[in-house]
Amino acid sequence: MTSLNRRLLTSVLLLLLIFFGITVVALDLLFRDLSERSLRESLDAQLIAVIAASEPDARGNVVPVGTLREARLMQPGSGLYAEIGTRRGETLWRSPSALGTDIEFGSAVAPGARRYERRELVDGSQVMALSSGIAWEIEAGRSRDFVFSVATDLRTYNAQLQRYRGQLLGWFLGIAILLLVALAVLLRWVLRPVRRIEAEIREIENGSRESLGLALPRELMGLAANLNALLASERRRLERYRNTLGNLAHSLKTPLAVMRATSATADPAARQRIVDEQVDRMDSIVQHQLKRAAATGASVVGQSAVDVQPILAELRAPLLKVYASKDLLIELDAAADARFAGDRGDLFEMLGNLLDNACKWCRGRVRVRVRARRFVDASGRTRLSIVVEDDGAGIAAHDRQRILARGARADEAVPGQGLGLAMVAEVVQLYEGTLDIGESPLGGARIEIDLPAR
Amino acid sequence: MRILVVEDEQALRESLVAQLKGASFNVDAAGDGEEGLYAGREYPIDLAIVDLGLPKLSGIEMIRKLRTEGRAFPILILTARDRWQDKVEGLQSGADDYLVKPFHFQELLARVQALLRRAGGWSQPVLQCGDVSLDTRSQIVTVAGQAVELTSFEYRILEFLMLRAGEVISKAELTERLYEQDFERDSNVIEVFVGRLRKKLDPDGTRQPIETLRGRGYRLALARGETSPADARA
Repeated sequence: MTSLNRRLLTSVLLLLLIFFGITVVALDLLFRDLSERSLRESLDAQLIAVIAASEPDARGNVVPVGTLREARLMQPGSGLYAEIGTRRGETLWRSPSALGTDIEFGSAVAPGARRYERRELVDGSQVMALSSGIAWEIEAGRSRDFVFSVATDLRTYNAQLQRYRGQLLGWFLGIAILLLVALAVLLRWVLRPVRRIEAEIREIENGSRESLGLALPRELMGLAANLNALLASERRRLERYRNTLGNLAHSLKTPLAVMRATSATADPAARQRIVDEQVDRMDSIVQHQLKRAAATGASVVGQSAVDVQPILAELRAPLLKVYASKDLLIELDAAADARFAGDRGDLFEMLGNLLDNACKWCRGRVRVRVRARRFVDASGRTRLSIVVEDDGAGIAAHDRQRILARGARADEAVPGQGLGLAMVAEVVQLYEGTLDIGESPLGGARIEIDLPAR
Repeated sequence: MRILVVEDEQALRESLVAQLKGASFNVDAAGDGEEGLYAGREYPIDLAIVDLGLPKLSGIEMIRKLRTEGRAFPILILTARDRWQDKVEGLQSGADDYLVKPFHFQELLARVQALLRRAGGWSQPVLQCGDVSLDTRSQIVTVAGQAVELTSFEYRILEFLMLRAGEVISKAELTERLYEQDFERDSNVIEVFVGRLRKKLDPDGTRQPIETLRGRGYRLALARGETSPADARA
């Protein structure tokens, strides 16, 4: 993709050319029309002046009497010419200005008719001629037909037109260049924040910067905020991976050390027992860390809403199958509008663990209730409340803290009761939610988690 | 009971086969999905243990195929993946239970026995028919409260008959499910063992716990009874 700058400038240039072209042509046509009309009007006026100055002479021909008021007609080569002729084409009179020119006025024009025409003289100059046929009443009842003609040189007219065109083009060219320059400057100014983001991203890449500055136009604020959120969540994820890897490596060292020390032990039975113990321990460490690392956690970008209902439905049949010997009753009550704002796999994991725990410890009944709640506080956030209850023995108050804390250090984790719950608590924490352990009216444990909803 | 083990990791497969044989099961083993599918189709299997990550044909695909072809024996999945999404996918494909690797053999054995009981319509680990009681965990058999000493093969016959109490089981089926595949089938070994079992369960010969239906097979004639709730702990 080419630069926005170039795209915009090229398209504006094209538009300018088209619009200015059309305008120039239109203005030119208009001007030519106007000036030709005024030329004809001046020819009309000259013709009338010649007619007005003419009188019939003794032979019945009509000729101008005395000097004409228009001095240019008297001056040879002035560019204004006049002629009076008969209808048959003989010339009766020519203005002195026509001396030395080969100007020819056209043949007969019927009385009352007018004819405008362009003619070219031998010297190459162009003239515009007007010929008008007139029936002149010489005596009462007797009239003769004459043709009065005037012509004017088009040099001035053409020069004027040329000048006008030159000026028109000059102005438009000037305006177009001015516009383009202004646009280019404007664009630079408008795109400056984008260039700044680009530069800042480069700085983030080479590590001299942590996040994008937010002093940006409103249109780009969202983009920058989202980019920042993405960066932050990537950083958190990286951090978590790094921690997990470190934890994993470190926590595996203890059982490895125990086993190495054991290899010196003589008693094979004792050795076997210790190796078994340590393998179990390593297994639970690996399991725990794997689950922790797999959880995606809250990231603002790229997460769609996840419907809770279908996931519960998907989990129910397999659990009923696994716990078939218990003849379970799993009641699901999830609001259709309950949607989790986060990763589907995380929700699946949390619900899977909660339901599995409930099924494992219940006597025969598990109840799940999911609701989306809109908070009335200023934030207007929507939260998701998921309650899982069972009718088992429940979790004693003094065990609750211990179970939740169990996940804190992987090498202390013991598989069995509580590990699943500790895992859920950790994922909930990633989403800045809460987990409460209480007593259910059914008799067993009641686990409530609160998560971001959408 | 005849168990099919489908696992591509040779060390694990061999150890499983050895331990299951030690727990008096008749075991078939397969190293990939296609072999597993073949064995599941061709042999009279009572239960299959299937690893999900198999070469040639994935465990899930294999289970799906077996199920669509109407094989109803219980299937236990072994998987290294313990995300719920993976478990659910496995169970949805038609498996009945899952076990996450690594596992203790005792845990596997307990799941296998529970699945076998469930398939026979029993929900408790102690099977009770009339006054005969068989504990699948400890393999202790009592008649009217008195412990009875059984050989491993006698126990296997009794367990099979009790799991399917009330059903007629042909001699051929009993042979196929309890013996190694290449065993001489037309021998009278089964008759000999059933005869010994009868003597041990019913020394007086008054109750006839195992009926012989001529030309059809054997049937455990004692009425099924669930064990007392005191024993109920799976």
